[in-house]
Amino acid sequence: MTAGRVQEPEREIIFMKKYIQTSGEIGDFSTLPVWQKYAIADLVYVAYGLLIVALVVVSYVAGMFAWLPYDPQQINMDAMMAPPLSEGYLLGSDFMGRDILSRLIMGIQAYFLPGLLAVSISLSGGVVLGILSGYRGGRVETIITYFTNLVDSFPRLVLILLVVAAFKPDIYYIMVVMGITGIPTVATAIANKIRFLAQKNFIEAAIALGLRTRVIIVKHILWYNCRALLIIHATIGMGEAILLETSLSYLGFGVQEPVSSWGNMVQSGANYFLQGNFWPSTAPALAIMFTILGFNLLGDGLNNILEDRREK
Amino acid sequence: MRYIPLKALILTLLKELGLAFLLLLGVSFVVFAILYAAPGDQFNVLLEGQLPTEEARAGIREAIGTAQTWYGQYSSWLLNVLSGNFGTSVRTGLPVAAELLNVSLNTLYLTLGSMAVTLLIAVPIALYSSVRGHSVVISWPLTMLGYVISALPVFWLAYIAIYISIHSFDFFPLASMSESQGGNAWLYTLVPVLVLGLGSGTISEVIRNLREEMTRVMAEDYLRTARAKGASVWRHAFKEGLLLPVTEIIASKIPFMLGGAVIVEQIFNWPGMGRMAWQAAQDRDFPVIMGIALVAAAFVRAGSLLQRMVCTAVNPQQARD
Repeated sequence: MTAGRVQEPEREIIFMKKYIQTSGEIGDFSTLPVWQKYAIADLVYVAYGLLIVALVVVSYVAGMFAWLPYDPQQINMDAMMAPPLSEGYLLGSDFMGRDILSRLIMGIQAYFLPGLLAVSISLSGGVVLGILSGYRGGRVETIITYFTNLVDSFPRLVLILLVVAAFKPDIYYIMVVMGITGIPTVATAIANKIRFLAQKNFIEAAIALGLRTRVIIVKHILWYNCRALLIIHATIGMGEAILLETSLSYLGFGVQEPVSSWGNMVQSGANYFLQGNFWPSTAPALAIMFTILGFNLLGDGLNNILEDRREK
Repeated sequence: MRYIPLKALILTLLKELGLAFLLLLGVSFVVFAILYAAPGDQFNVLLEGQLPTEEARAGIREAIGTAQTWYGQYSSWLLNVLSGNFGTSVRTGLPVAAELLNVSLNTLYLTLGSMAVTLLIAVPIALYSSVRGHSVVISWPLTMLGYVISALPVFWLAYIAIYISIHSFDFFPLASMSESQGGNAWLYTLVPVLVLGLGSGTISEVIRNLREEMTRVMAEDYLRTARAKGASVWRHAFKEGLLLPVTEIIASKIPFMLGGAVIVEQIFNWPGMGRMAWQAAQDRDFPVIMGIALVAAAFVRAGSLLQRMVCTAVNPQQARD
């Protein structure tokens, strides 16, 4: 072994990370500032994602208290299809002269709470099943694998159309189904993580110290070592929920006119698309794109920063 | 002569077929359970305009020949399905199975075509950025482009594609499968395939997965050896770095493609499963949507079977455990 190799700081850190284990997060001994420790691209991703999340939350609150430039249902026949930045309509108006900006802000109501519901169902279900299959193993694991394979066999939209046909449900019930279809991904990730952690000394030490299984699972596995994973899955799940809600509203099964959703705004605007009136459908489509992009980038950036670094 | 691990392949095939059968049984039960729990009576459609008395309802059940208890209904339905009889559509009165066969072939063409489009875009980007590293000039913008494209809602992308194809290329993709276009019919089908391939929201994920796998494999010892002795790196890296991840992605993305097909088929009037499912969901046409769910699940299982077979062909040892 040459002397030069050991002295490289990066290598030393990796070496230490590999062999020093604590019951808390595996130590990050690098004293570098944040922008040197992680790839710039990842930091940009996370910053953009956080910006989008903040924007969505602020707009949601604004919509909740109806702090809007116009009434989103207000029809104005004198200003139909107004282009952006005209006559007080910041983002233009749609085919009935309704303010697009106000409708976009109100459209967040259509997916915000339902999306959170879906995400919390898939996270909590995934955590329970993941712990059962990762920590217990054996027959329980076989049954859970069967369940996850079963859920994965349904294309999500087809399953939801089935439920729509059967129950004609509102968006909350649809999001419960969506949450259930999200369980397998989370469960597999948690189970893999537990299998990875089970080889580590600190779990063995915790068992030897006589800690209760509940404490080991909740504190040492979930809280110390899985919370990053859960946050990542939550952001990605929220992006998927937005896509699903807008798709369903576009297809006419989700939120119905005149209540606005980004999906049904694209749908109603699309009738005028081929005549050259691009804006009424393009504005909500861009809103969908920038939002989903934000959630995806946030998830991937956090994944690179919090997860991959630590394990490699 | 190349070695073909026949025994391992047959073993995997049998195991996977058994698993697929069990899973499809489970799928059929879930489908049945959801529709059984549905409120109301789907046969009311046939009694429209009449007063739906109990007698009339029972009469219709008798005429169609459904059993009264749930397990009776389930087992008779399942036996029918196993013998290829998916029932008749409540709306049109036509047998579902024949229509389903037609329609599922169209969907298969759409989904496989768009999968190919996705891979044709994603694989070169992933290969380039894993071989050349993260160069800021080319690889990062390409990755970013992948992210932006997969965040675009497919139902808006479709209108852009329609607009462009009408105004720049002078053809009308909304009539993609009709007889009137003569010999150029296949050209019209390209637009929906391209739209679904671009807009299904998987490109960025595919790029990321492939790049990670490829980068990992490129750093393996056996590739360093290959490089050192002057052997072809491509030949050594192909199986583990490209073939396995690509088949895995195809298998895991089939459900997403089928879901995206619902929207794309609806926009482009594509006579496929997705549009049929949409129509059936609006009409509460239970036999049709049951059949579609089963066929879609069968597609998904077929994809994963294929993936396991490729896995075994590459690494026969896997079949033993």
